[in-house]
Amino acid sequence: MSDVVILGAGIHPFGRFDKTYEEIGSYAAAAALADAGVAWRDIQAAYLSRMYLPATSGARILRRLGSTDIPIVDVEAACASGGVALRQAVLAIRSGEADLVLVLGTEKMPRGFMDPRMIYSPWQVEMGMSLNPSYWSMRARRHMYEFGTTDLHIAKVAHKNHRNSVHNPNSMYQKEFSLEEIINSPLVCDPIRRLEICAPNDGAAAVVVASRERAAKIGGHPITIAACCHSIARFSADFRCPADSMSATANNPGPTEVTAKQAFERAGLGPKDIDCFEVQDTDAFCEIEIYEELGLCGLGEAGRLIDEGRTEIGGDMPVNMSGGLISKGEPVGASHLGQVVEIISQLRGQSGKRQVADAKVGLAHVLGAGGNCAVTILKN
Amino acid sequence: MATEHQAPKRVAIRDGLLTEPLDDLAKVRLQGSRCRHCNEVTLGRNAICPNCGGIDMDPVALADHGELWTYTVVRHKPPGDYRGPEPFKPFGLGLVELPDGLRVVSPIEGDVDSLKVGTPLRLKISVHHTGAAGEDVVAFAFAPRL
Ligand SMILES: [Zn+2]
Repeated sequence: MSDVVILGAGIHPFGRFDKTYEEIGSYAAAAALADAGVAWRDIQAAYLSRMYLPATSGARILRRLGSTDIPIVDVEAACASGGVALRQAVLAIRSGEADLVLVLGTEKMPRGFMDPRMIYSPWQVEMGMSLNPSYWSMRARRHMYEFGTTDLHIAKVAHKNHRNSVHNPNSMYQKEFSLEEIINSPLVCDPIRRLEICAPNDGAAAVVVASRERAAKIGGHPITIAACCHSIARFSADFRCPADSMSATANNPGPTEVTAKQAFERAGLGPKDIDCFEVQDTDAFCEIEIYEELGLCGLGEAGRLIDEGRTEIGGDMPVNMSGGLISKGEPVGASHLGQVVEIISQLRGQSGKRQVADAKVGLAHVLGAGGNCAVTILKN
Repeated sequence: MATEHQAPKRVAIRDGLLTEPLDDLAKVRLQGSRCRHCNEVTLGRNAICPNCGGIDMDPVALADHGELWTYTVVRHKPPGDYRGPEPFKPFGLGLVELPDGLRVVSPIEGDVDSLKVGTPLRLKISVHHTGAAGEDVVAFAFAPRL
């Protein structure tokens, strides 16, 4: 099986822009190609991850770089879309069909709560069960009940991520909030507050992926894709929108646990071997839950991890150095590739004030509707 | 000569979600399905078991009581075609654990500030809103057991 590497990465900042998705997407794609030192005409296949864009968006975006005849495929898997697009590129290269592939994530989303018809049934919308944060909140409340996790633990995660984002020019907010401001921000769905959730927005991120052999001919500083895995929750393993019920007896492991285990096995690594993490913080509680599911700590211990500052940039397991989705925003189709761009920047030592000292291995994780989860592990 | 008064037609908010008939709402329960193969009980009338894929499913009327397993308060009017009270009032939303072995997402009636995990609850079936053709649309909620 051939080794697959990333040759270059590019990003269009996440935020809200008076630009078309074609402009945002082609900007990131061109930046990734330039970073890789690769010409668009040499790319043999391209994958676009997106959720809210129209049909054939990939072709419409990439046509701007010149019309070639390569296959361009749009993929969608909710918040995990970017991981699925990257995985398709890895599979294409491993199959021998291609050795130089572009992976692009692009999104342009309406403001405010997402259109509930995208994921909920009409009766759930009519009954008021169609607010994504209500599902995050119900999981948070149960975790608080079972393990003594507090409002302050959740606020501390948001505090950390907002503070990290100050040093990330690609983040939407780049603004530090005091713990007090966070814990006094209005409740969206108890116990989750306004400054503890991410907003849908616009953005794009891209990587150029190659076989190790092809990369050697091109030169540069390739980053190895040690694993790129995708899975969907087993029966009742992930209480998340748009679930209308869950089993009280089934005891299946959650999608993060399943996907991370697969990724760690593929990479021959464990959670202790990872120097930095970018994870799904759709809301601040989600990050707490993921500490446990990735194996950064035991079940119910995540509150202590955040109290001890271990997931700060200077801690022994830094999480969301970029500021996370809470401060970057979540352009769904682009979010995972945005994480990948951050990890690459960390592994190259180019992250400036948010740099994790001596980062050699990084992990990116996304999780969303339907229990779609992707985990990518990159190493120098 | 008395004119015959025709009560509006009643329909469940989702086909297969409630036991029929709907004439006496006090007798209506949430509809469930039990898989003969794996024994899992799921919400609604299901032809296929979402746990094991089995196709031998028995309809069961789910219990009319349970316990609050977790909850939130919806503080903002949900987007789209929400048909709750106007003007919008914050409401409790929870997962109600039923003795049948499942937890159901449900509106929780009563004071939003006194919600507590473990609170005993009772099913409430009522007309939720009027449908496009003037029919009564019947839905469910749970309320604290007094
Ligand atoms: Zn079954």
